[in-house]
Amino acid sequence: MILRRIGQAVLVLLITYTLAFTLLSALPSDGVMARYASPDLALSAEELQRIRDTYGADEPILAQYVQALGGFVTGNFGYSVQTGTAVSTLLAEAIPGTVALALLAFALAVVLALGIAIVGTSEKFRAVGDVFRSLPAFMVSLPTFWLGIVIIQLVSFRLGWVPVIGASTAQALILPTITLSIPIAAPLAQVLIRSIDQVKGQPFIQAVRARGAGEVWIFWRNILRNAMLPALTMAGLLFGELVGGAVVTEAVFGRAGLGQMTVQAVANRDTPVLLAVVVIAATLYVLINLIVDLLYPVLDARLRRKVRS
Amino acid sequence: MSLTKRLARVVAAVVATTLGAGLLTACATTGPDDDVQRLTYLEPIFFATLYPPGAGFYPNGGVVNNITDRLLYQDPETLELSPWIATDLPEVNADATEYTFDIRTDVTYSDGTPLTPENVVANFDLYGLGDSDRTLTSSEQITNYERGEVVDADTVRFHFSAPAPGFAQATSSFNAGLLSDATLALGNDGFAPGNATGVIGSGPFVIESEDLGTLLTLTAREDYDWAPPAHPHQGRARLDQIDYVLAAEESVRVGGLVADQADLARQIEAPVERHLRDQGLQVISHGTNGVNNGLSFRFMHPLLEDIRMRQAIIRAIDREEINHTLFSESYPVARSAIAHTALGFRDQGDAYRHGRAEAEALLDELGWVPGPDVIRVKDGQRLSFTINEAVPQPRSREVITKIQEQLRRVGIEVHLNPGDNATQNADSLSYDNIQIRHTMVGRADYDVIKSMWHSDNRNELLNGDKETRQVHDQQLEDMLQQIASLPAEEDRAEMTGRVQDYLTEQAYILPLFEEPQVYGAQPYVKGFQPDAIGRPSFYGVWLDHGDNHTEGDDQ
Repeated sequence: MILRRIGQAVLVLLITYTLAFTLLSALPSDGVMARYASPDLALSAEELQRIRDTYGADEPILAQYVQALGGFVTGNFGYSVQTGTAVSTLLAEAIPGTVALALLAFALAVVLALGIAIVGTSEKFRAVGDVFRSLPAFMVSLPTFWLGIVIIQLVSFRLGWVPVIGASTAQALILPTITLSIPIAAPLAQVLIRSIDQVKGQPFIQAVRARGAGEVWIFWRNILRNAMLPALTMAGLLFGELVGGAVVTEAVFGRAGLGQMTVQAVANRDTPVLLAVVVIAATLYVLINLIVDLLYPVLDARLRRKVRS
Repeated sequence: MSLTKRLARVVAAVVATTLGAGLLTACATTGPDDDVQRLTYLEPIFFATLYPPGAGFYPNGGVVNNITDRLLYQDPETLELSPWIATDLPEVNADATEYTFDIRTDVTYSDGTPLTPENVVANFDLYGLGDSDRTLTSSEQITNYERGEVVDADTVRFHFSAPAPGFAQATSSFNAGLLSDATLALGNDGFAPGNATGVIGSGPFVIESEDLGTLLTLTAREDYDWAPPAHPHQGRARLDQIDYVLAAEESVRVGGLVADQADLARQIEAPVERHLRDQGLQVISHGTNGVNNGLSFRFMHPLLEDIRMRQAIIRAIDREEINHTLFSESYPVARSAIAHTALGFRDQGDAYRHGRAEAEALLDELGWVPGPDVIRVKDGQRLSFTINEAVPQPRSREVITKIQEQLRRVGIEVHLNPGDNATQNADSLSYDNIQIRHTMVGRADYDVIKSMWHSDNRNELLNGDKETRQVHDQQLEDMLQQIASLPAEEDRAEMTGRVQDYLTEQAYILPLFEEPQVYGAQPYVKGFQPDAIGRPSFYGVWLDHGDNHTEGDDQ
């Protein structure tokens, strides 16, 4: 079963890579032209052609594809056409920043989502319950870009709580984490609220209650645990949102990271960088969904039995 | 414990940790250190290469300019050349094909190696010819370069295959910044982000460290003692450290200045200049001393072939209105193809004035009559043009939108070419895609007008076909060529004037405004002087924290 999953994953990656390569080749102009045919350099046609030859930019697409794929398989991602920096260097610099941001934002999003869902569904907070129930819909409609700028202006420039410029590594994570967590927390909270409502109405909850369990016990042991499954599926899917959000967040906050790297690579037709980004994003996607699938049986005993049988 | 309490605790803990960490670390770093002259400089874009011939791109030049010395120094205001690493102005032969420089012998690179004649020749051999195998390009500014020659221990000579009167100025620009032998041996990746500390110059600042894509730290070189004699400051730089910080969002650059988190920021858009001044900040603008921001009409396109069409477009565009709506006094309305401060400027009077009635009369005369939706038609064809977006230029999209609105009033349709910078550049190579090109180029030499329109260079009018070598207007091409080949300065000036007149006569272009580089700075930043084309130069800068700083703290 694991082998089959890995096989599937490799296939998904290969298809992703090929698709990305094809789409990038189909775009007008290429990375070499974007950099060297720029009027800033005013190169002669001859010099431009010599440089294209050095890059092998005019070789048949298929040859380029095979060569690039060969590089990927052997771990050689090549060099950014736009700057000349090795793609591996770019990745080594970008990945830790993005991973730190993504993990923190995700953790904060989970806390936020739980908080909203609990307040929104608890009898005790009935007075504010409706407000909290409508909060996710509001949060999901906030554009990350705008949110980032508002948070910077307010928290850093007005209140001066955290510097944005010249911040330490830890400081530099605070505002982007908050910015990125909000659009992730929203759908999580939405799904959680709905499934908590659903589980609450199930007969087994009445049964547990009749046996004399306290509300807090019921909520944490029975309701929440059962309501987690759909939220977990959602969390796996939200990873895509996380990557998209990181692109915008990193651009707004001027952070180095995969997002920032992607924005620049797209603008410059920087194929080697883009291919690496696409493959890494796809790998992470596949991995996260694999982890989610493996977590199901841990959380739900019924699924465990099915797997064994 | 009730659910409420438990929840409240969790929330309180999260909030407290987040804010506490922020406040603590904030307190730890905001205390001003008066002993260290440290400047935080906000850049909208991180540098893409430090290879000098590729330093025309603003963020690249902003770094290269501060870490390298040049043979000659160009005064940013008078544009006059004077000695720097060369001890005198060069000796030039009668037809400007041989330049001889005497150079200083006491200069060292920051890696300790001496700046020798052999090294100077190696620099220019690379910049003059490029090295395609290493994908290192030749410099746009060094034309007809043949070879360099070491004459003796303090003399170098450069030979050109054809007259190169622009060479003296070219040696003064950061595109010809001198680098150590080890740096010259690097490949394209050696000049790329990630390797900045390996790029070694002899300039007043040294690259100390780099966080890829976000932060570059330069420190003063302690033993720097070879500033241009014409520079008001001598010896070691006054600043100890410069942090180049990436702040792509304009609101972050402006907010960072206002909130006192940064000292200097590049690329302040016109609408916020007033806001910064109101906050007690300085707005420093410097012209780019080259070809103005403007439109080039690709006159070989069937719709633009008739001069009356080009004249009609010129008359229909109200440049005063564009400036008034979109820009500020930092952006003077253009009076010719090149800036009024550029070498060889010749005022074109009211040649580019607005006159809607004249425009309409010209269009009527050409037989274009208003169609069903205001836009004029002739033989079933709509009068429609596509203009590129000049992505690197200030507010290009808004400028084109404004032009769209103005031309529509006389019945001409304008499309803004969609796409990013790479697409715009690719599309601009054909007049089928882009009939009217929006762009500019900065360089403080007569050659700049040739760079802009000669078919071997940027070819913005598409006067020459790069493939077929066919030239549409040979007269323009020859005049431009002469600017770059007449040995005597007064002849180059005269020819530059004639080209400006010719461009006006033929209605080939519409210059819009003189494009500046605009910086925002704290009031205590003193001695900041952008170079001849507006790139930041930090050598003479110091931070005068005296009284201003306490004022700043009160705000």
